[in-house]
Amino acid sequence: MAVTTTLTWNEERSFQKLLGNVSLRLLYKSSVHGRSTVEMQNRCRCQGPIVTVIYHSNSIFGVFTLGHSSDMSESFTEPNASFFFSLQKNETMEMKTVVLNSTVTFYRNNLTFCFSSYYNQKLSLNFEESRIYIPRIFEEELIVKSHAKSTFLECEVFRVEGIKDEAGYINRITRAIQHRNSLLADVRAYSPYADLVSEIRILLLGPVGSGKSSFFNSVKSIFQGHLTRQAIVGSDVTSITEQYRIYSIKDGKNGQSLPFMLCDSMGLDEKEGVGLCVDDIPHILKGCVPDRYEFSPQKPITPKHPTFITSPSLKDRIHCVAYVFDINSMDNLSSKMVAKLKQIQKEVINCGVAQVALLTKVNNCNEVLQDNFLKMNKAMISQSQIQNVNKILGIPLSRILVVDNYASEREMDPVKDILILSALKQMFRATDDFLEDLPLE
Amino acid sequence: MEVATRLTWMQEKKLQNYFGEKQFSLLYKASVHGFSTDRLLQICSNQGPTLTVIYSEDQIVGAYMQKDYGEGNYLIAVFVFQETTITECKVGPFKLPMLFDKNVDGNLEVSIHLKEKTMYFNKNAMEKLGLSQIYISFQDCEVFRCEDLLDERKMSGLTELKESLLCAIRNYIPYGGLVHKVRILLLGPVGAGKSSFFNSVRSIFRGHVTNQALVGSDPTGTSEKVNLKCLLLINFITHSIHFNLQTYFIKDGKDNNTLPFILCDTMGLSEKEGLDMDDIPYILEGTTISVLYHIHPCMNCIGNHTVCPLLKDRIHCVAFVFSANSVGQLSHEMVEKIKRIRRELIKSDVVHVVLLTHVDTLDLITKGDLIDVYKCVPVKLQAVHRKLGFPLSDIFVVSNYTSEWELEPVIDVLILSALKEMLRAADDFLENFPLEKTGRCV
Repeated sequence: MAVTTTLTWNEERSFQKLLGNVSLRLLYKSSVHGRSTVEMQNRCRCQGPIVTVIYHSNSIFGVFTLGHSSDMSESFTEPNASFFFSLQKNETMEMKTVVLNSTVTFYRNNLTFCFSSYYNQKLSLNFEESRIYIPRIFEEELIVKSHAKSTFLECEVFRVEGIKDEAGYINRITRAIQHRNSLLADVRAYSPYADLVSEIRILLLGPVGSGKSSFFNSVKSIFQGHLTRQAIVGSDVTSITEQYRIYSIKDGKNGQSLPFMLCDSMGLDEKEGVGLCVDDIPHILKGCVPDRYEFSPQKPITPKHPTFITSPSLKDRIHCVAYVFDINSMDNLSSKMVAKLKQIQKEVINCGVAQVALLTKVNNCNEVLQDNFLKMNKAMISQSQIQNVNKILGIPLSRILVVDNYASEREMDPVKDILILSALKQMFRATDDFLEDLPLE
Repeated sequence: MEVATRLTWMQEKKLQNYFGEKQFSLLYKASVHGFSTDRLLQICSNQGPTLTVIYSEDQIVGAYMQKDYGEGNYLIAVFVFQETTITECKVGPFKLPMLFDKNVDGNLEVSIHLKEKTMYFNKNAMEKLGLSQIYISFQDCEVFRCEDLLDERKMSGLTELKESLLCAIRNYIPYGGLVHKVRILLLGPVGAGKSSFFNSVRSIFRGHVTNQALVGSDPTGTSEKVNLKCLLLINFITHSIHFNLQTYFIKDGKDNNTLPFILCDTMGLSEKEGLDMDDIPYILEGTTISVLYHIHPCMNCIGNHTVCPLLKDRIHCVAFVFSANSVGQLSHEMVEKIKRIRRELIKSDVVHVVLLTHVDTLDLITKGDLIDVYKCVPVKLQAVHRKLGFPLSDIFVVSNYTSEWELEPVIDVLILSALKEMLRAADDFLENFPLEKTGRCV
């Protein structure tokens, strides 16, 4: 009999995705290797993180346990955070997940998971009689139906490959999706302070290639649910973006417009006469520059320009400026660039607009935020790049936002989404502060 | 300690191909699970075909077994893998677990003794394998289960995926209903596989391999020949426009409805001749396409190409097509030409993506690899990214139908996935298109 999993390719792929884009290697299959806990232990101990998959009449469920507990020799005496998930074998293919602290025992051909927080509830498999005992908590959380004499059809164990940073991994993958969805709801529900405007305008400013247009694409991708490329990006010596664009983002294809707009500008260059012209900035901030205005590095826009907006209202103004930098180039910004930035900042301060810094291209998304996703890690804050931004532009640490844009991926990643959405949320807060401070007239 | 193989990607790939497009699943690694024959057999018995690999200081030696470590006598394929060559000899037949027995009577051709970390050969085997001594001491031993890269399970998964992609593409409605069909322009060097891509797309929707667009390896570009009729007509009237564009409606095999996209094939780009750079703005605006419509009804209309081109006649997405084989060796002139075209596209806000064709012909890449192709060609993707400045996520890998007689789900899925992304890119273009212009022209 072939040693191949009973999972369909689709099911396998959805499990791989659920566990954080990992690979699965089948180690044990009860129908081939024998329904025996000894066989199972022999084949699966010392294999690193493993996932046990159990096939039940109309659902499949799995238990994912991490490395340190996978030495299935005697028992997992210490309770470990284990990730339980189920997949309905019907049209909906609905997936449910729950994280429980469990201890595992092998005793007389019984594999048992005991849950410390649910006294007397356990998941237990009797290999001799193919019996399965499904705890109440599973029926509630994972919609696995069972009756007194439930049997399981098959049990497989896979090694899970491709897990980086084991500490807190399970917590991260399970909480990430939840947190991402709640951030998404927050951003959708945002309404600017006192409804002074219906949509706030966030201006992206920064050196050539810092990822301004990519940030817009990434934000749009999150709301579309797949990667998008409306703003053309890429690498070149000079700025790819030569037009001023005011992007409004829709919530899904043909959906409602979201309560913010991202204003994408040409990249800054340390040289004079190249890149965005500093003299254009006051006009942009005041809202005089129209959408799709073609920048000219040598000649700033003047009120004589045919499409110049002469009397912009509050809604046309920029409400928040995000200084965008490639985090990896932060430590070697040239003194000319720094001088230019300070000059620009003076203009921004003159207008009284809210300011944030957005650092892109961070190497490890997982290490940016604390495990609860509510705050940046101490190690991240102490990094020289963050400190530098803080020093050069005097932007408070809570307004320095770190993201990794979608540029080389093919799939959406909840942790990336969290960083991007958190950044947006902080921008909204900064904007609200600005709007609140506005003189009443 | 992590259970991960010591084989490099290249070594693993070579061995996988050598033993017939296999996928290896590491089961046992001596340095983790212990140098013990009992442990090895506990883990690796009843796992189907296996590959045992031992690592000495400077060599990789191994044994491939087509059967379980069960009953019966079988031949074992023993091999030595040195640098890039694999030398093989068949030994046995004997009971498979005997490979790991201590060679008591010295009559076994090969034996692996885990406790001593030594592999023994008899003289005959030593000579056949081109070894210099009858034993090799090793540092580690790994056993893999060998499965077919494209087994039935994956094939049915791919077929399912193909059906869902087909359904998504058939039901695609361009953004905001601004147009009925989106126009995708294929641009690329001569021989990059533009027309083959068209043929492949058409084949998938037809349900069998077709060849409407003439393809070949003529260095001057075959598409010119396809368009010869149009070319002559146009040149007769005006020399300013070289008509070198062929648009194809693709019909859906099932109900004969046309699909919501049109592929526009061009003459290949080349350093000297080929597609004229000056034509590109006209092609993008759709001018030449409207000319095509005017050919038959009234010859005199051909000169009238200054009419406001309609949004529906425009190009909505450009796909640069490159051959994975030659993209690394593009000439400086070609790279410059492409960058110029790209600037032009950026100026007119035309969204573009890259198609990397001919991946199936790359060294070591087999049909089975197409199932997870992005993991297999990172170097090629990086080359396109660095040389031409396209973002990595805009590069799509495809394999065109060239010599195949039958459709392959794995190829279909790649092509349809790329097509789906192009339709999304067209949506991005349409969403970005200034409203006042659409108002005037639709």
